[in-house]
Amino acid sequence: MAFLSGIFLFVVVVGLVDRRLPWPSAKHREVSKW
Amino acid sequence: MVAGHFGFAALVKSRERSAPLWALMLATVWLDIVFVPLFLAHWETVIPVHAGYGGMVIHADYTHSIAGMLALSACLGAMFLPKLGRRVALVIALVSASHWVLDLVVHRADMPVLPGNFGNLPRLGFGLWSHPPAAACVELVLVVAGAIMYWRAAMDVSAKAGRNGRLASLSAAMIAIFGLLVLFLDYTS
Repeated sequence: MAFLSGIFLFVVVVGLVDRRLPWPSAKHREVSKW
Repeated sequence: MVAGHFGFAALVKSRERSAPLWALMLATVWLDIVFVPLFLAHWETVIPVHAGYGGMVIHADYTHSIAGMLALSACLGAMFLPKLGRRVALVIALVSASHWVLDLVVHRADMPVLPGNFGNLPRLGFGLWSHPPAAACVELVLVVAGAIMYWRAAMDVSAKAGRNGRLASLSAAMIAIFGLLVLFLDYTS
């Protein structure tokens, strides 16, 4: 129960909210190093 | 341990900001996700020791062996490599491997070195689950530290982008509240 709740709450719910924050892009960061 | 893994992933997000949080959250429980079908197929088993939090010996002899953990973590990192690049893919693989390290603290000497406990080598686990309040405290610290560190990083990127910190605070609050909820569900199971 705790495991399934955790997957749903953290991967789906928090993950969706977090995506709206202006975090740097992974690919952009890697390319900008070159 | 469930909530502690998610807390650790939030902590990593604060240090590796370009890694998507959902991918880190997935990575931190990747070994357990693969465990589920093997458990349903009776290839991996759970033997109750007592009722409640941590009251079990888990024979996850493939997913939670050292060799299995390394293989599964490498596979997950490889899956994210094309989309997220080498650095983030490596971080995701390491977060997946961190699951084994955190489990090592709480498990009761039930994690083998080789898949299927090949060679009958000594099983590993420090057994903190034998002291449920102490194990829960470790999880609590990981959740709280993860939420605080994540909040600080999210506020920082929001400020640099000229945005207010409302969404950053909401996201961090969700990590803290959901973490406490999952820990409560686990502890009172």
